[in-house]
Amino acid sequence: MNKALRLRVARYQAVALLLLLLSTFPLWSQRAANLYAIKNAKIYTLAGPPIERGVVVIRDGKIAAVGTDIAVPEGAQVIDAAGLEVYPGMFDPVTQIGLNEVGEVSATVDTNELGDFNPELIAATAVNPASAHIPVTRASGITEVISAPGVGGFDSQSSGIIAGQASAFNLAGWTMEEMQINPSVAMVLNWPSIQTSSFDFSTLSMKEKPYEDAKKEYDKAVNQLSDWLTRARHYAQAKEKGSPDLFVRDLKLEALVPVVEGKLPVLVVADQARDIRNAIDFCTKQNIKMILASGAESWKVKDVLKEKKIPVVLGPSERLPEQEDTAYDKPMTQPSELNAAGIQFAFSSFGTSFSRRLPQYAGTAVGYGLSHDEALKAVMLNAAQIFGLADQLGTIESGKLANLIVTTGDPLEIQTEVRYLFIKGQLTSTDNRHKDLYQQYRKRPAPAR
Amino acid sequence: MKVRLLLALILFVTFAPLGLRAQGYSTQTSNAILIQNATILTITHGNIEHGSILIRDGKIAAVGTEVKASDGATVIDAQGQYVMPGIIDCHSHIAVDGSVNEGSISVSSMANIADVLNPDDISIYDDLSGGVTTANILHGSANPIGGQTIVIKLRWGKPASELPFQGALPGIKFALGENPKRSNFSPPPGVEPRYPATRMGVEETIREAFIEAREYKKQWDDYNRKKAAGDQNLLPPRRNEKLEPLVEVMEGKRYVHAHSYRADEILMLIRVANEFGFKVRTFQHVLEGYKIADEIAASGAGGSTFSDWWAYKMEAFDAIPYNAALMTERGVVVSVNSDDAEEARHLNQEAAKSMKYGGLSANDALKLVTLNPAIQLGIDNRVGSIEVGKDADLAIFNRDPLSVYAVVQKTLIDGQVYFDREKDIAARPALEKEKQDLLAKEKKASEEKKASEKPDANPEKKPDQKKKHPQNSEDNAGAVAEGGR
Amino acid sequence: MRDRFKFRPVCAVVVGLSIAGLIGSVFSARGDRSGPPYFAVVNARIVTGSGPVIDRGTVVIAKGLIQAVGANLTVPPEAWVIDGKGLTVYPGLIDAGTDLGLPKEESSETTSTGPGRRRAAPSGEIAKSPEDRPGSSPWRVAADELKSDDKRIETWRNAGFTTTLSVPDGGIFPGQATVIDLAGDRSGDYVVKGMASLPISFKPIGAWWGFPDSLMGTIAYVRQVFDDSHWYAQAEPIYESNVTKFERLPYDRTERVIARGVRDNEIVLLPANNSVQIMRALRLADEWKIKAVLYGGQQGYQVAGAIAAKKMPVLVNLKWPERAKDADPDAEQTLRELRFRDRAPSSPAALAKAGVKIAFYSGGLSTPKDIFKNAKKAVDAGLPPDAALRAFTVDAAEILGLGDRMGSIAQGKIANLMVTDGDLFNEKTKVKHVFVDGRWFEVHEEPPAEKPGDHKADSAPSSQPKHSASEEGVGR
Repeated sequence: MNKALRLRVARYQAVALLLLLLSTFPLWSQRAANLYAIKNAKIYTLAGPPIERGVVVIRDGKIAAVGTDIAVPEGAQVIDAAGLEVYPGMFDPVTQIGLNEVGEVSATVDTNELGDFNPELIAATAVNPASAHIPVTRASGITEVISAPGVGGFDSQSSGIIAGQASAFNLAGWTMEEMQINPSVAMVLNWPSIQTSSFDFSTLSMKEKPYEDAKKEYDKAVNQLSDWLTRARHYAQAKEKGSPDLFVRDLKLEALVPVVEGKLPVLVVADQARDIRNAIDFCTKQNIKMILASGAESWKVKDVLKEKKIPVVLGPSERLPEQEDTAYDKPMTQPSELNAAGIQFAFSSFGTSFSRRLPQYAGTAVGYGLSHDEALKAVMLNAAQIFGLADQLGTIESGKLANLIVTTGDPLEIQTEVRYLFIKGQLTSTDNRHKDLYQQYRKRPAPAR
Repeated sequence: MKVRLLLALILFVTFAPLGLRAQGYSTQTSNAILIQNATILTITHGNIEHGSILIRDGKIAAVGTEVKASDGATVIDAQGQYVMPGIIDCHSHIAVDGSVNEGSISVSSMANIADVLNPDDISIYDDLSGGVTTANILHGSANPIGGQTIVIKLRWGKPASELPFQGALPGIKFALGENPKRSNFSPPPGVEPRYPATRMGVEETIREAFIEAREYKKQWDDYNRKKAAGDQNLLPPRRNEKLEPLVEVMEGKRYVHAHSYRADEILMLIRVANEFGFKVRTFQHVLEGYKIADEIAASGAGGSTFSDWWAYKMEAFDAIPYNAALMTERGVVVSVNSDDAEEARHLNQEAAKSMKYGGLSANDALKLVTLNPAIQLGIDNRVGSIEVGKDADLAIFNRDPLSVYAVVQKTLIDGQVYFDREKDIAARPALEKEKQDLLAKEKKASEEKKASEKPDANPEKKPDQKKKHPQNSEDNAGAVAEGGR
Repeated sequence: MRDRFKFRPVCAVVVGLSIAGLIGSVFSARGDRSGPPYFAVVNARIVTGSGPVIDRGTVVIAKGLIQAVGANLTVPPEAWVIDGKGLTVYPGLIDAGTDLGLPKEESSETTSTGPGRRRAAPSGEIAKSPEDRPGSSPWRVAADELKSDDKRIETWRNAGFTTTLSVPDGGIFPGQATVIDLAGDRSGDYVVKGMASLPISFKPIGAWWGFPDSLMGTIAYVRQVFDDSHWYAQAEPIYESNVTKFERLPYDRTERVIARGVRDNEIVLLPANNSVQIMRALRLADEWKIKAVLYGGQQGYQVAGAIAAKKMPVLVNLKWPERAKDADPDAEQTLRELRFRDRAPSSPAALAKAGVKIAFYSGGLSTPKDIFKNAKKAVDAGLPPDAALRAFTVDAAEILGLGDRMGSIAQGKIANLMVTDGDLFNEKTKVKHVFVDGRWFEVHEEPPAEKPGDHKADSAPSSQPKHSASEEGVGR
């Protein structure tokens, strides 16, 4: 061949090679989709002092590296977070997200099953991954939640005594299989209370009951609860050591076995001091692990909570005091009181549509005395610790799940926006129903006159 | 003698107010108060750093950096603190004795919140602790046309007669959508459901009521005219407490506050109002207001909405936190309200959300809970901003009220401190002691009572001498005591 | 044997009649009309209620009225004399609010939502508007429904009560209350004033599906009723003189009855127990231009000045608030409740001090013993004892518009008296005699379930002089 021809062939070969390389580009971006680097950011790891300017590397769903002297790996999607801050995603540990879409429309609500004792029910079974609440909530920086059946909230009543198992999941994924963190993190126990007045639906008024009668009903409920646990113990023994021929499977008792074996905590929902004390008494006698949820009057029983090392998942700190004579600011000062007493606690919303207020609840508590650091932990880390998920979540440390938020500032402040959202190491859009409707109607032309 | 008198007077004026302040919140002898060294958020004239406000006779007498105290003025040092106008909650159900709903009938305009104000409701105090000074107390949303409503100032400790906001026009509550049509609950068995059950019926109920009201007004106008003309033997029409407020609505003397969600029902009411010659004053909740913001603006109605509530019912499913900002953008006067005694404690935070959702400026966000609700309630000549001549209704925060960390330190109404966080905290031990003492007293009394109710060892059974028997007395019939005859 | 029987000429007749009468007086609630119409209580301490106490005086009763009272009176020869040595005579007590003598309310079947709910509308009908007149039966007059066999009449009377205001219950306008004296042969005898007052209740009776189901709805309803009554009072004469000019007026019993009541200045009883309710009632009484009396009054201590400024009388409920017996022992009591319970008994003192005219009513207390116990609490809390007595007697009569004829021991007033062996507010005091409309009742300590033999033992003259008949004050 002559020189001119060889040159042309080489050019064609180069183009072909280029085309070949280009054709593999989709493969490049696939690899790149699992690899991110957030650089130039102020990083609040919650595992040490904040890093003024650092890098976080995310690979295959996990935090691969975090620090100051970290090289941005090749092929990583880079996010320049100059002027922004990086935090672990927030964790709302008591919600009904996915179980409750529109409160008044019962067809969309799966929180409350019939019957008082439903230990075998698991929230994750009924969570709707397509719930509009999921994109709305995560846009505010909440990356994972626990959904609990039967706990009650803004637009639902609590129901049942043992309402079922609460499930932890990430707020991103096409199916529960993709979202799931742990389908069973706690057994919901609505502590029965002595009800001297109740709402009578046939007359739509409050009906009074003598204390003695109400106490009897309460005792009965507690005895029933006790019976269930006793039977669960027998069941566990029978299952483990008994003859298979004589063994009859019981889903409800089976579900209680981890509880009586101390492996699955009970999430006890109680607000009044007497109920909390009674519940603690009960759990101590039964030798089961207790987490207190809601806990409006925890401050009255600090001594016992501390002594028995019972963690508290507080309901919204923005609520009215339980009693008329309680200090007006008690719900807001309680978190700092518990903190000062060395009681482990986390914030929660007990809601669906109000889950995005989680940072607001924490921020309010800071205004009334809780330290900012503790408040951050109480919305990002403590819930993970309380529910046994701290190996996966809660801090920005290598090896943990990459649930992170990149914000325009202090995540507890109202005006702060989440610029970038990482769930399970995927950059997740903050678009949601509300943003969509906003943009849609912003574009509405002026109506004809 | 005169010197001693003068000295006594000076001492009295100087020390008496301090003494009384230490005791309680709502008594003040000195009528001049100076709030000094604060960041003042005037709303209408920008923010003033290191500013002071002089209050005299319950009104703002001066605002600025150079304002000085007159002799004898009580001084509130607000160094490092922020003063904003007292928050105005445009949708509240506090301070009501009994149910907030007369829900039994479709039109309950004869019911009047003003008749049942309860000044002892602790919610008044709770809301003061959040910086609220004025609230629009509304009837509930059980009927297409509900009861009459009233604007009050949260003068905790005063009797009901001193709560109403003097000079504010009265209102009436309408409700559209799911609540008045009762789609979310059914009556007990055996009880007939109440009309209406559809949005069509809601409209019809309102139109019919106004047609009746029109007819009623005509009857009275005819009667009055004839009477003035000297006609004798006129039979007066009956007074109808249900229709009179509706006549007042048509005459522009009573504001309509309409609970509403869906865009189409909001437009419906604008139409109906037009038909009967009145304007809706505010749409309340108005969660889909952003969809028809232009129409609402054109109608002149204000929109009083939630910051970020949604999805609790079907008609709230399209609610967005950008509602306030979007409506504001399109020219609607927008306020953010609470509809709830607890939510009212942090309306400053709720207002701040419109900076994030929709990009309102800080001042525009503050307007949502100050000047705008004042305009909506027709009281902006009196409250809603910090300006000379306006009522001294103020909330003092320890930091920028638009921050989640801000905590109310003091709340003033008409220049009187009605909430003081420090004093509240200081008063707690004494109140607790009083309570324990009263409990102990009751316990003791009940124990004494139990002891005295034990059956007597010796029942007080006097001998038969005291017994009178009919047969016995016949023997003594006609007895005469000494001194008789 | 001292012969105390002075009426020799008629002694046979008298003895015969008195045997019958006395037997009757033991077993029935009626007074002895078969006995002589003249009585004189002599040598007694007389608390007249309309002047200074007479340390030793005489009251003469005849024909149902007090004929004379004074220190040095001539006792008419006809009078049966009761020796009042060591005894005190008080005006008969007035209980200004009970349901004595009234039949028990039956709750309506279909939409019963609690005791005492009455509908003017046929049962089962739900009021859809004020025109349906929910809970309104103002034409009912307690006098027409008296059940004189109510055992409580005797119980009250034995404790010294001679008069009650018996108030119908159930509904917003339950009916008109009647003043009754606690003695008579037929129920008509009891009635002192049939249409004595018009009680109003603000309890919403509708329970969500019937009008009114809220306090404000109930008040609005009452306002409309007054409007309608006012209209009727105007319209009726106009119509009557122009019957060919106007469509005839519909018949609405409620508005007609109320119109008449307003015209006759009938007292309207407005519910007002706590300070908010009291202030509200004062305002509404002004607005509705009615002659009102408040009932409840237990937080009068807070607003006594305001009540006095309106010159509004108050019927004070003696059933002081207390913690419910079957309440949750751990339930939080609010400081507000505790203060109320602590201070309520001081209301009468505060009201009296401010110049408010008050009367007491038993308000659900089930025995006169409790009434006195609770009245004593008011005295212990600062109400002067003579003011307490006035609240049971002369002031109660005046509030009820009967001050011209009862409530004190004065000539011409109805002979309603109680005779005790001690001070009224002393726990140990026993009532010995009661006169109702001049009918004489002896008060026996225990029910006379004696064995036949006992009488003779008692009548033996060997009874100690200390307990001689003269001291017993037997005059028959």
